[in-house]
Amino acid sequence: MNRVLEHLPTRWLSRPWVRSAIVLLSVFGPATITAMADNDAGGVATYSLAGATLGYPILFLLTIITVLLAITQEMGMRLTLVTRRGLGDLIREKYGVKVSIFIFAGLLIANLGTVTTEVSAIRTTSSILGIPPVPFTIGILIIAFLVITRGTYKITQSIMLLVSLVYLMYVIAAVKAHPDWRLALSNLIYPHGVMWTKQYLISYLVIGMGVLGTTITPWGQFFISSFAFDKKMEKDTLKYSQFETYLGAFWTDFFSFFMIVATAATLYANGVGLTSGEQAAQAIAPFAGQLASTLFAVGILAAAFMGLVVVPLSTAYAFSEFFGLSGSLDSDFQSSRTFYILFVVQLVVAALITQIRGVTLFQIALVTQTLNAMVLPLVFYYLLKLAGNRNIMGGHVNGRFQNNFTAIASFIIVIASVFTVIAVALGL
Amino acid sequence: MAFISELTGRPVTDIDGTKIGVLKDLVARPLKDLRYPVVDAIVVQGKAGDRTLPYSELAALLSAAIPLKRSSKEIAEYQIQDDDIRLVADVLDKQILDTDGARVVRVNDIELVRVNGDVVVSNVDIGVRGILRRIGLDRLGRWTSSGSKDDAASRTISWEFVEPLTHDQSMRLKVPASKLADLHPSDIAEIISDLNRAEHSDLLNKLDIKQLADTLEEVEPDFQADLLEHFPDEKVADVLEEMSPDEATDYLAELPDDRRQGLLKLMEADEAEEVRELLRYDEDTAGGLMTTEYVAVTPDMTAGQAIEHLRKVGEEAELLYYVYVIDQEEHLLGVFSLSDLIVAQPDTPITYFMHKRVISVELGTHQDEIAHIVAKYNLIAVPVVDAEEHLHGIVTADDALDKVLPTAWKKRLPHFLGTHQ
Repeated sequence: MNRVLEHLPTRWLSRPWVRSAIVLLSVFGPATITAMADNDAGGVATYSLAGATLGYPILFLLTIITVLLAITQEMGMRLTLVTRRGLGDLIREKYGVKVSIFIFAGLLIANLGTVTTEVSAIRTTSSILGIPPVPFTIGILIIAFLVITRGTYKITQSIMLLVSLVYLMYVIAAVKAHPDWRLALSNLIYPHGVMWTKQYLISYLVIGMGVLGTTITPWGQFFISSFAFDKKMEKDTLKYSQFETYLGAFWTDFFSFFMIVATAATLYANGVGLTSGEQAAQAIAPFAGQLASTLFAVGILAAAFMGLVVVPLSTAYAFSEFFGLSGSLDSDFQSSRTFYILFVVQLVVAALITQIRGVTLFQIALVTQTLNAMVLPLVFYYLLKLAGNRNIMGGHVNGRFQNNFTAIASFIIVIASVFTVIAVALGL
Repeated sequence: MAFISELTGRPVTDIDGTKIGVLKDLVARPLKDLRYPVVDAIVVQGKAGDRTLPYSELAALLSAAIPLKRSSKEIAEYQIQDDDIRLVADVLDKQILDTDGARVVRVNDIELVRVNGDVVVSNVDIGVRGILRRIGLDRLGRWTSSGSKDDAASRTISWEFVEPLTHDQSMRLKVPASKLADLHPSDIAEIISDLNRAEHSDLLNKLDIKQLADTLEEVEPDFQADLLEHFPDEKVADVLEEMSPDEATDYLAELPDDRRQGLLKLMEADEAEEVRELLRYDEDTAGGLMTTEYVAVTPDMTAGQAIEHLRKVGEEAELLYYVYVIDQEEHLLGVFSLSDLIVAQPDTPITYFMHKRVISVELGTHQDEIAHIVAKYNLIAVPVVDAEEHLHGIVTADDALDKVLPTAWKKRLPHFLGTHQ
C-alpha cells in the first residue's frame, strides 16, 4: 500500500477522501483477486449444477465451506508471512523428497483436471457462440500461453475485472428471479425445505464434494502462499492480512451464494435438470432475456481463461518450490525449459481429454472438483502440522479452534470422499 | 564416495553384532585449515531414542552395516558444538547459497568422500539425479544422464562454494562468510531479495561496512530502509559514509526528518555536508541525482601531474573516466577523458587536449532531460553546473537512466498474481 501512496502526486494525498479511497481499494484489491481466482469456469459450472439439482439446502454447506476456506487460507498466508517460504518449500524442508513428490503428484493430477474443465468450458462457449470448437480452443490456448509468458499484471487484472462483472450478473439475476429469500437465507444456517429422499442425499453428497472442491482447492493453498510471498512481515501487517484473507473468503462465497440462488430460483424451481451450457444460461435469463446465452458464454469464457492462466502457473510454481529454488518466482524460472514444458503439457493433455466424445462440461467439472476435494485433506494435514509447529511459527502458531475445525473438516472430507467414490462406482 | 541418501537408514551394530538402530544423521565439523567439513559424529535412531556417537568409535562408516568398535554402553555421548553442521537436519532439502553461481539452490543430496581415514563432505547435489537417488531410482538417473557429461541432471556444487542459510531460529551460522567477499555486490543484492528476514539480517551481519554499502547501493531505497532497520544508528551512519553521497541521499530522503537529522549528526562532518547539500534538491532533478564524488584538476597542470593527482584522489571518486578542469572558483572550464590523458605526453599541459565545449546540465534539469542528453551524446556521466557555471557534481549515466527506465523493466515479470503495486 505504501507503494501505491508513493506513486501519487503528494498534493492529492493531502485530501482525506483520497486517502480513505486508497485504503479501501488496497483492502478490496488483493482479497477480490483471490476470490475471483477461486471462482473459475469450473466454479460457475459446479455452483450452477448445485443450485439446479439441489436447490437452496446446498447453501448450508456453503456456510461451512466459507469458514473452512477462511481458516485454511489464513493459515497458508500466515505460514508464508512468518517463514517467508512457500508451502511447497516448507513441506520439502520438513518432510523430504518422497512426501514432496507425493503431494506434487496429487496437485498435478487435480490441476490437470481443473485445466481440463477450463478447456471444456471453452468448447461449451464455442458451441453457444456458434464458432467451430477446434480452432477456437486452439486460439484461446495460444492466447493463454502468450499472456503467461509475455503478459503483465495489468492484463491479468483486466481479466479478473471482466470475470467479476459476470458474477455481478448473477447477483442481479438472482434478485430479478424473485427467489424465496427467507428460505434461501435460513438454508445458510440449517438445510431444510426439500424431501430428503435417498436419491437426494446421494446427489447432495456427490455435488457437495464438488462444491467443496471448487471453492477450496489444493492449488488455492499454494496460490495464497505465493500471494503472500511478496509481502513484508510486520506484526500489524499480519493482522491486516488476516482480515484480508477472511474478506477474500467471504467475497468468494458471496458470489457463489448468488449463483446458487439464481439457478435454484429458476432451474430447480421449474424442475429443469442441468446438462448443457444453454440450460445453465437460463439462470440469467430473468435478467438478460434474449441475450442470456451470449452473456453466459462470454462470462464463462472469461472465467475459464483466468483458470487457464492461474492454475497451470500454480503447478509450475509449486514445482519450483518443491524441487527448485524458492526465490525463483522470477524471470529465471519463467524462462526456463521446465516451466514451459510443465505449462504446455498441462494445456495439451487437457485439450486432448476434452476431445473425448460424449463428455460434458458438467461431468468433467464434477469429477475434477471431487478430485480436488480428495487431495485437500492431504494438503491440510501438512498445513496443520506446519502452522501448528511452534518451532516454525513462534508466537504465530495456530490456535485451538483453527486446528480442531480443520482437523475435523479433513476427517469428514475423507469419509465423504470414500462414500462419494462408492456411490459413483455403484452407479447410484 | 558415498551419498548421504544411501547411508541414512543403514543399520548400526554393536560390538556383539546386535543392531542398536539405524543411521539418522551425520554431524560434520568445519575445520579452519580444511576446505571441507569432516564428519565428527553420527546420530543413531534406536528404539530408546536418538544417540549421538563420535566418529572415532566407528569401525567403518561407508559400509553396508556400521559396526561400533566398543560396546555402545561404554561410549560417551558426543556433544554437538555450536558450529557443527547436522547434514540431514540442517542441510539436506534446505536452501543453500551457491557462492560460485551466486544463487540460492536446494540441496537434493550430499556427497561424502573418504580422505586419510576421515570422511569429509565434498559436494552437494542440486540436480535431478539427487532426487532420483533419494527415491531409489538411481539407475534411472544413471541411464538418463549417460549420454552427456555435464547435463543439468547431474549438477553438483563443491562444498567450498556452499554457504548454508539460517533455517530455524535456533540455528545461526557462526562462521565468518569469507566466501561472500568474492561476490559482486549486485549478486549479493539479488540473493538478499530471495531470502527471508531472519536470513537477510544474518547475511548482512556478515558483510563488512564497505560490502554492505556497495550491496545497499544495488537495492531500491524502500528495501534499503527495510534492511538497515535492524542496525544500530552508529553502524548505519558508517554505512552511509561509505555509500556514494547520492545513494546515501536517496536513502535519507525516505526517512522521517528527526531520524535523518540524527543520522547526519553521527556521520563525519564533511560527508554529512555533501549529503545535506544534495538533500536540498528535488529527487528527480540533476541536483538530486548527482554525486559530488567527481575528479577535477586545475588548468595549470600537465598530463603527468594530472595522472599523479588522479592516483591520489581517484580512490574516492565514483567515476574516474572523465576528469573535469576547474579554476579556483570552481568554474567548469573543460573536460578530458582518461584515454585523452593516457595518450598525451607527460609534459603536455592539459589545456592542450581538454574539450572546452562541455555538455552540461543545470541543477534544476529534470531527469528525463538528463537521460535524453546522456543517450544523445553517448556520455558516461554529465557535469551539473549552476547559472554561473560552477561545477556542483556529476550525474552518471546509470543513475540518469535508472530513474527513467520503466520500473517493469527493472523489476522483471510480475510475481504470479501476488505483486500488486
